[in-house]
Amino acid sequence: MLAQFFRRIQAVSGTGTVNEARPGTVPARRLRSDMGVAVVVLVVVAAAVLRPLLEDLLDRPAVAHWATIFVSIALAAMPFLVLGVTISAAIAAFVSPGFLPRLLPDRPGLAVPVAAAAGAALPGCECGSVPIARRLMARGAPAAAALTFLLSSPAINPVVLVATAVAFPGQPEVVGARLLASLLAAIAVGLVWARFGGDTLLERARRGHTHEGRPLSVFAATAQHDLLQAGGLLIVGAATAATLQTAMPRSVLDTVSESGALSVLALAGLAVLMAICSEADAFVAASLTQFSLTSRLAFMVVGPMVDVKLIALQAGTFGGRFALRFAPLTFAAAVTSSVLVGWWLL
Amino acid sequence: MTAAGGTISLLIGAVLLRLTLTDTYRRYVRPELGPWLALAGAAVIVLGLVTLLWALRHGQEPDPNAHEHEHGVGPGWLLLAPIAALLLVAPPTLGSYGVDRAANVDIRSGARVFDPLTRTADPAPMGLLEFSQRAFEHDGASFNGAAMQLTGFAAGAEDRGFRLARYQIACCAADAAPVVVRVVGTAGDDPPRDQWVTVTGTFRPGGEELPELAATSIVEIPAPEDPYE
Repeated sequence: MLAQFFRRIQAVSGTGTVNEARPGTVPARRLRSDMGVAVVVLVVVAAAVLRPLLEDLLDRPAVAHWATIFVSIALAAMPFLVLGVTISAAIAAFVSPGFLPRLLPDRPGLAVPVAAAAGAALPGCECGSVPIARRLMARGAPAAAALTFLLSSPAINPVVLVATAVAFPGQPEVVGARLLASLLAAIAVGLVWARFGGDTLLERARRGHTHEGRPLSVFAATAQHDLLQAGGLLIVGAATAATLQTAMPRSVLDTVSESGALSVLALAGLAVLMAICSEADAFVAASLTQFSLTSRLAFMVVGPMVDVKLIALQAGTFGGRFALRFAPLTFAAAVTSSVLVGWWLL
Repeated sequence: MTAAGGTISLLIGAVLLRLTLTDTYRRYVRPELGPWLALAGAAVIVLGLVTLLWALRHGQEPDPNAHEHEHGVGPGWLLLAPIAALLLVAPPTLGSYGVDRAANVDIRSGARVFDPLTRTADPAPMGLLEFSQRAFEHDGASFNGAAMQLTGFAAGAEDRGFRLARYQIACCAADAAPVVVRVVGTAGDDPPRDQWVTVTGTFRPGGEELPELAATSIVEIPAPEDPYE
């Protein structure tokens, strides 16, 4: 049973019964594989030896604060990451390449809003949606639609909206404003990308890492690849956010809250730096009472779409040149739609 | 799929399971996430085992186009940093360092009208948030003079007494917001910073920016299993 499964996985890599066929190449690969395992073991052993040093470090309050926030961001993201990776692997394994393009309307003007609304169906936070969007592209979905889905799903799914309602009791207009502003921003970015975004930027995601073979083995290989890829990038983002949270003094917050119209930009920037999970950011927004409702709306609209861990994830997944254009575009769209919707509804 | 990748996945799963089995995860995330962490850990272990066994049997990826396909571990190596650290030393719960940095909980956001407490011989435990909300509502009329027990950590001395704090978290420690109460009327030394204590006492009106608890007893305790409210 297991042997059969391995044979299937082997089929994924495209060459099937291979090792014996090319005996000369095996030792080199075996060596590289053993090196990899050796590095893993080395890191674990080194950490064990350095344990007293680690404990000393954690006696310093700032280091302990950093470590706790770092670990907690990574840990809270894990279930969502595993869910996202599972869905991504399932798309790779069980959805035929021609299916997604047929499902979506041909015209980007229609495909983008449909993709934005489809985001409501995935109850997760932003970490899981990056591998899914990449997989959608690799499976032939238009880039603009996949990117729209990437932006809308962590912002407007039911779990996030319920959390927002709980965080702002008796203020249903905040929930409505969040839904509307997030949808608007996601659709705007999608349409701009459909019109002006070069698909060449996304070559890498589209060629991507697609396995061929039996569904179950494609599933395992894709899940393994996406987990390490997205997980590693998540670590970069978690470390960045923890550093900013540890280093930023309270007075910064108090200063920007008194800066009037600038406070919208300030809270939007804070959302980028803090990198809070989209299912929890409403509670933080609720506690920032010194700010206007519109700037707190911007905090909740920007956070799920652009933050330091997402930028790391997107740069690693789609390429740095892509992230360099996509993050500022998204930030501008999210802030603009928050201001408009906030001015209208709040 | 490589042996190194499989090993890293196995380690991720092992760390997740260990954190949930020892309840250490409650230092970092809401208790409600526990079952999901365990489920994710189990799934990642299965994935890691499949990958590892396959790789050990067949050597490295036998794909002639391996160099184009980035079949290596890539940024996955970075996962080893938190894994190695967590297997050895678990970072502590958030302490007083963050109290001066995070935005405090807005007590009014959950404002509601409380039923008056009844005075009993046995003071009941109460959360710091409820204490603050009761203090805010009609200047603490609902306390009705009853005594209660608050549990939190010491977050520094004040002009009189010391600050007792505990964090509220919505998802993980990254969104923690502290609730702070001033404890007054203590005889002797204040507890050291970051020491967890259970304070018994009654509400004292007129605390201005912080609600005040007039303490009758202070007991030092180890950090609780559920450090956040």
